[in-house]
Amino acid sequence: MPAHAVPAVNRLKDYPVDVVAGDLFRHASGPVAEKWVTMANGLFALSQGSGLAAQELVARQIQDLGMSFRMTGDDEERVWPLTPMPLIIGAAEWAEVERGLAQRARLLEALAADIYGPQRMVSGGYLPAAVIAGSRFFARAMAGLAPRGGHHIHVYAADLARGPRGQWRVLGDRLRLANGVGYALENRLALSRSTGSLLSDINTRRLAHFFAELREGIAQDCQRDAPRIALLTPGHFNQSYPEQAHLARYLGFPLVEGRDLAVIEGKLYVRTIGGPKRIDALWRWIDTNSLDPLSFDARSTIGVPDMADAWGRGGLTMANWPGVEVVEEPAIAAFLPRLCRALIGEAPILPSVATWWCGQPVEAALVRDRLEELVITPAFGRPVEGLPPGARKVPGASLSRAERDTLLAAMARRPMDYCAQEIVELSTTPALVGEVFEPRAFTLRAFVARGTGGEWAVMPGGFARLSPSGEMLTTLMGEGDLSADVCVVDDAPAAQFGGTMLGGTPAIRRGGGILASQAADNLFWFGRYGERAEMTVRIVRAILGSSIEVDAGAGGNPAVRARLVGVLAEWGALDEAGAKLPAPQACRAALAEAVMPGGVAALLDTLRRVGLSLRDRFAPDFWRIASRPLPALESHRPGALLRVARELVERFSALSGLGAEDMVHGPAWRFLDIGRRIERALSICRILRQLGEVGDEADRLGMLLDLYDSQITYRSRYLTGPARDPVFDLLLLDPDNPRSLAYQVLALERHIAALPALHEDALPEAPLRDVRALLAPLTSMTVAAIDADLLQDIEARLLALSDAISARYFLQFEKTGTDHRASLLA
Amino acid sequence: MIYEIRHLTNLRYDGLVRLARLNLRLKPAPWPGQVLHDFTLTIEPRPAMIEEDTGPWVVHRHRLTMRDPLAKLAIESRLRVEVAPPSFALDMAVGPTVTEVRAAALAHRDLSAMSPASYLYASPMAASSAEIASWAQPFFTPDATVMQAGRAIMAAIHAGFDYDGTATEVQTPAIDAFHQRRGVCQDFAHIMIVAARAHGIPAAYVSGYLRTIPPAGQPRLVGADATHAWVDLWCGAALGWVGFDPTNNVFVGSDHIFTAMGRDYTDVAPIDGVFLGGGGQRMTVSVDVMPVG
Repeated sequence: MPAHAVPAVNRLKDYPVDVVAGDLFRHASGPVAEKWVTMANGLFALSQGSGLAAQELVARQIQDLGMSFRMTGDDEERVWPLTPMPLIIGAAEWAEVERGLAQRARLLEALAADIYGPQRMVSGGYLPAAVIAGSRFFARAMAGLAPRGGHHIHVYAADLARGPRGQWRVLGDRLRLANGVGYALENRLALSRSTGSLLSDINTRRLAHFFAELREGIAQDCQRDAPRIALLTPGHFNQSYPEQAHLARYLGFPLVEGRDLAVIEGKLYVRTIGGPKRIDALWRWIDTNSLDPLSFDARSTIGVPDMADAWGRGGLTMANWPGVEVVEEPAIAAFLPRLCRALIGEAPILPSVATWWCGQPVEAALVRDRLEELVITPAFGRPVEGLPPGARKVPGASLSRAERDTLLAAMARRPMDYCAQEIVELSTTPALVGEVFEPRAFTLRAFVARGTGGEWAVMPGGFARLSPSGEMLTTLMGEGDLSADVCVVDDAPAAQFGGTMLGGTPAIRRGGGILASQAADNLFWFGRYGERAEMTVRIVRAILGSSIEVDAGAGGNPAVRARLVGVLAEWGALDEAGAKLPAPQACRAALAEAVMPGGVAALLDTLRRVGLSLRDRFAPDFWRIASRPLPALESHRPGALLRVARELVERFSALSGLGAEDMVHGPAWRFLDIGRRIERALSICRILRQLGEVGDEADRLGMLLDLYDSQITYRSRYLTGPARDPVFDLLLLDPDNPRSLAYQVLALERHIAALPALHEDALPEAPLRDVRALLAPLTSMTVAAIDADLLQDIEARLLALSDAISARYFLQFEKTGTDHRASLLA
Repeated sequence: MIYEIRHLTNLRYDGLVRLARLNLRLKPAPWPGQVLHDFTLTIEPRPAMIEEDTGPWVVHRHRLTMRDPLAKLAIESRLRVEVAPPSFALDMAVGPTVTEVRAAALAHRDLSAMSPASYLYASPMAASSAEIASWAQPFFTPDATVMQAGRAIMAAIHAGFDYDGTATEVQTPAIDAFHQRRGVCQDFAHIMIVAARAHGIPAAYVSGYLRTIPPAGQPRLVGADATHAWVDLWCGAALGWVGFDPTNNVFVGSDHIFTAMGRDYTDVAPIDGVFLGGGGQRMTVSVDVMPVG
């Protein structure tokens, strides 16, 4: 139902009138208030008049996008809490914010340039040296080094509060990590996908232009014309990894970790399956201190040795320049109004929250006298004496007399560790809670990027955080918080920047971009673990008697069944005790086994962990299925277990299908498939050997056909029951059976032949030679030649092939050692 | 006093290591009252590349890159250095109070490696500690001079802590050594640094060498000397940085040879770096400090 067809019920009619004067809706100008109503009504119209349904609508999109996050201490990712009602801000009001942010970005750039350059602000007495020295982020080694393009800052985020009278002010600056920029993007995607034309109905400005500018701004500072820009992540254990993976995918930047990179003669390279490839610029999501163990913290294991050489010699553009995060310290905020005049000769457009650094006698006295009215905060982010550990902002009024005395005594000893700030009151915005709109306090994280020509571009919108308690933000999201999209709206539809995400017509290109060796390694193992899990489940299914053979039923033969339980034990799916259980219990144990490496639960977990670092490469559907946990094993009954086994087999089939249909058939897909094919080929050899001469031949062969889904093919070809030669031919040599050994090896040969070569001499490399040596006999032999020795030989060659592939394409497992700093001390 | 110093480090790796890249901080950085006459560095096998720089602290650094795989590495530095005695009688010096020094450091308009402002805050191996702070409280009364406070705390460490080369390791943080009440010069220096900074007094870690005087009647043993560490406290603009050796409860004088100054050991570590492969490693060090006139 289109929005304008809805009966004209004003869903915001009952929204409280007596909210604080800064409420975004109640105090919006006429045309903007109308847009609020349009949006509110539209949301209800889309969901047949139900607020809860509107929330579900959005929640579904979030699931589809695979949006998640972690809070400190979380092991698992949480679903992202996006509320459907965006913040709506009129163009006139936003213009002022935009001007203020661009000015602040200019100021911070000038300040960073001064701190790492002439240090005039320090020598001139505008900024005490102790304020900079106190920052963990002051990178002394960067002093005297300036970026080649002259730009220290490329991406900047600011937390804004709107006060009770509608005035905006800056709560804090973020130069280290622009956390939230990815979520702002995802919020918009989720909202626009779930609300039809609503966002354009109210003339919402698009975000795409901002990201195009960000990218262009970095590209322009690079030495080469078509630069390769990568996003440097600390790795998938990092709290904001999902956001980083999403941004990398959206912007088309390779997502790299330190161990993917190497510095060679002052230039940075990523190790790929096609050899080292130059990286021109990094959007870093790693602290300066961890970037280069030889220049900063020698204990860092996530950085790249000698990376400082690359940026120092101008061969590497950094967004942001190492060390700039020093300007985000609370203690620096105390000096920004003064620095604004001194550095750029202007008065600040957007005020900061008033801040006093206690390292100065006058300020320290003021804070002591007005302690009751202020909040006390560590000046440099690290814990300080007299404030509870982990506390970021403590209202002076909340302290007991004893706490207050302790704090004042600690402040007397080390006044430089403390800042005080005025208490900021937040205004409210209508939030959809259940079926009604309620006022909620909010803060807004805004984003600024250096764009074309080095000009500052402000994202029209941002990331809003709605807090039930009205508490000030310290992290990206707190318990019980909601996030909301922020819509900057024009009175009339503006000429929009192109419809595509990044605009302009890019040069046509194909293929999957570069594939880092590390990622190829993970893909390969993802394929292998997935196949191993699938095969284990297939054995379980076969044992549980899912045969379509109704008469006799291969699964009915106790000897064959016992042998298959033995296979489960040999594959590490069962421990010793488990192997002795009756067949159905053993099946349940193999499914539930989470400790033994071959247990299905353990394999699914490994699969998910390997997959985490591949998030940027998988479609959300694929990832959702791959990361689903084991279904609940509620019963021991074979029927119930069989249902679980079948569900799992279907899940694996869905993954294979999505992999084949949704992934571009480039190197990434090939490595995923190489892993799967090698594992499947290995399992055929092993199972054929391990089933040996157990039980009745017909039962055994029937079981093999079951395991490899080949019953129907067999019966369409042969009128007799299973016999050795036809079954072996079908499972080993038939190149058209997608579960046969020959088929796997053929596929391997095709994949490896299609991978990039290191040299231009066109000679086959070792993995290709190995796979061809394996393939040739399979294409020429007859079934009579097959015996256990041959199967064992093939198995050994497959394992050797796997080694050859990892030696050629993956990073050799080389632990970077750190030299013990040792000395003989007197 | 003129010294000839030989400092030999042998590194052995359990397996071959590739692409070893090392930072050496062995050549004394320029320091008032000390003249470096001669310095040679010999590395076996020869590195593919050696670069030198100074900073970011009062440090002279050699950067080595070893391209060929290696199983052992020998680093030898030899230097000839002249150390002048302190220009004033440290025992008699008074200087400003704790309160005055703190205020002067906070108001400083200099961010260099010699600036007191650069040594006011916690650092990787000298994290702040409420425990050490309150232990040191009696020494850092607001009206005490920093010279007095420094002498008192140096004496307290010397009296209250045992020298024990087996109690701590090179990565032991100050607080662990403080709890054990034992350690080596590095630990004592770190504890004193944490104590001084807890009261807002700029404190720096200095690495160097100490001339050892053999017991009467015995010859000086070649190679038995060691690298040493002590603390410099900033005692106001007039006195500047004054060296306190808590291990020996003495002011730093012409028996101490300066190599480098930083916030703590990590800034001045004689050797650190990264390499690929290898496994375990062993390091042996021998130092010989020979007075020659």
